[in-house]
Amino acid sequence: MVQLKCLEPLSLICAGGCLDFWVSPLHPERPVDVRVPFTSLQAVKVFLEQNNIPYFILIKDLQRLVDDEKAQMVHQRSRALSVETFNYATYHTLNEIYDFMDLLVAERPNLVSKIEIGYSTEGLPLNVLKFSTGGPNRPAIWIDTGIHSREWVTQATGVWFAKKIISDYGKDESLTAILDKMDIFLEIITNPDGFVFTHTKNRMWRKTRSINAGSSCRGVDPNRNWDAGFGGAGSSKNPCSETYHGPHANSEPEVKAIVDFVKQHGNIKAFISIHSYSQLLLYPYGYTKTPVPDQKELDSIAKAAVTALSSLYGTSYRYGSIITTIYQASGGTIDWTYNQGIKYSFTFELRDTGRYGFMLPANQIIPTAQETWKALMVIMEHARDHPY
Amino acid sequence: MCLAKNNKQFPGLIYLFSQTATGQNTERASIFFSRSCLLLFQPVLGTGHKYYLQFTTEDYKTRENVGTCLAIVFYLKRKPTPTVNIKCTYTKDQKEVQEDDHRFYQKIRQHTKPIIGSYIPDSYGNIEPAFESAWALAVVGSSYIMWEKSTENLGYFMAQVKHVKQWISKDDSIDFDYAVLLHEIPTQEMILCHMRVIWIPNHPLKVKYFCSSENQSAESEDVSGMESGSADGILNERAANF
Repeated sequence: MVQLKCLEPLSLICAGGCLDFWVSPLHPERPVDVRVPFTSLQAVKVFLEQNNIPYFILIKDLQRLVDDEKAQMVHQRSRALSVETFNYATYHTLNEIYDFMDLLVAERPNLVSKIEIGYSTEGLPLNVLKFSTGGPNRPAIWIDTGIHSREWVTQATGVWFAKKIISDYGKDESLTAILDKMDIFLEIITNPDGFVFTHTKNRMWRKTRSINAGSSCRGVDPNRNWDAGFGGAGSSKNPCSETYHGPHANSEPEVKAIVDFVKQHGNIKAFISIHSYSQLLLYPYGYTKTPVPDQKELDSIAKAAVTALSSLYGTSYRYGSIITTIYQASGGTIDWTYNQGIKYSFTFELRDTGRYGFMLPANQIIPTAQETWKALMVIMEHARDHPY
Repeated sequence: MCLAKNNKQFPGLIYLFSQTATGQNTERASIFFSRSCLLLFQPVLGTGHKYYLQFTTEDYKTRENVGTCLAIVFYLKRKPTPTVNIKCTYTKDQKEVQEDDHRFYQKIRQHTKPIIGSYIPDSYGNIEPAFESAWALAVVGSSYIMWEKSTENLGYFMAQVKHVKQWISKDDSIDFDYAVLLHEIPTQEMILCHMRVIWIPNHPLKVKYFCSSENQSAESEDVSGMESGSADGILNERAANF
């Protein structure tokens, strides 16, 4: 009792019993746990040391633990439990989008599956959603978003497209007809390393995050790394440049994974790669002024697609080949896919035209996705109705 | 009828056009460059390229159309800055323009504390109401930089205000220090420019600036904080007189 009594002065250190005993002094052999407010810390330490009472710190900063836990709980609460409750009108992190993909597959396993086509430089899985109603190797449509990581509206619209496809299958006649004949592949985060970097370090990061030998600058422009006019005018050989084409074609695992997938699949009929911003619908070529053989057909599809797009909110798009509409760019995605025989190869540049640019307000995500979907439907319907 | 080949960017011209249109050496702080249309592209043998352009301008806040312009932009070989012939018709008259500018000025002046901020818009595209005017002023100031830097084949957009700091001036002028990111086309580079903007309504905008390419720094890490006052090094200073 004497030993316990000697602890009594402790409670006098702060008036009103502010020392919070988590394990009260009950027995001389047992330890005592006490929460000490910051202002009393010194006094308590002095008391314990002067009285030769051994102590050690279990938790250094309780408030921090409480805050962290609270944040975790809030995050948990806001994490969507279903595809229905997922917030499509906001920008998400990589983990949130990858979780969404798993939710989607779990909810509609007969329609959606997830394929890992490879790994990024930093080891992140390259996930592709496959929408299919059967068949061994049906003709397919490929859509990718987020190849340039700073173009955030594109990954966000990719997420919306995934939801749209599962919602409309069985309800929308045209989409159902497409999926009854063809598969759709959707890669939402085509450049995951870059995407993570835009969230953590630099919102304006465009390229991959590969290490460039002999340079302190990282990353390769994934839309200059394809084997179509590789290394030509309209790309840079400087690793520090935003349009650096890389040491050789397909040097980037993110690009190689798609190349391997496309070649191995062998039956892709339409390929659509989505970027922002500028409000454009483009077809090949970017690396040369020579028009593609299918120029007339692609041009008329583009015209119809752009008309459909603007019917919703009046958003005006321009269209044409890459080189005549924007500028010369070599080693680009759809130049390669077109040369592989994928006739219906298109690139979108989504909203806006420069007012916000890459920093498009989140309240424009859904309208952008809705109008772009209309254009996509035109392209997909055409592919469905014009097999080759 | 617009030509198919009409996606050339002329963001820098907003500055010039506003000036010429009011014909009075005043700067319109509140207009934005809107839809453009290339009517004709005319190579002039041995001399250069002539562009016939039509475009509309809109109020930055309300997005309403405030005018239409017709311009002939002539790029001479070996000279980056073109000669411009322009005619605009505005929906608002001189008096309304001055009132607009004055309202804009008052909005900034009514802040009791100097406006200081970073990343406008933020990563999610949000612009806090308190920073709207500072952002709009950055657009106008940036357009001056873009006008000087752009060429026939190189254009810009203001991507983001990285930092803004208002100086309380002894006179009636509004005075801002900016670090802005300009998105360069077609290189795709983000150009960091330090810019000082000083303005009183009915006077020319004063813009001093110094630009460097973000990429040349070791890694594109965030630049925390901002140098105070006028940027060190060489500054380009010019009052808006053409």
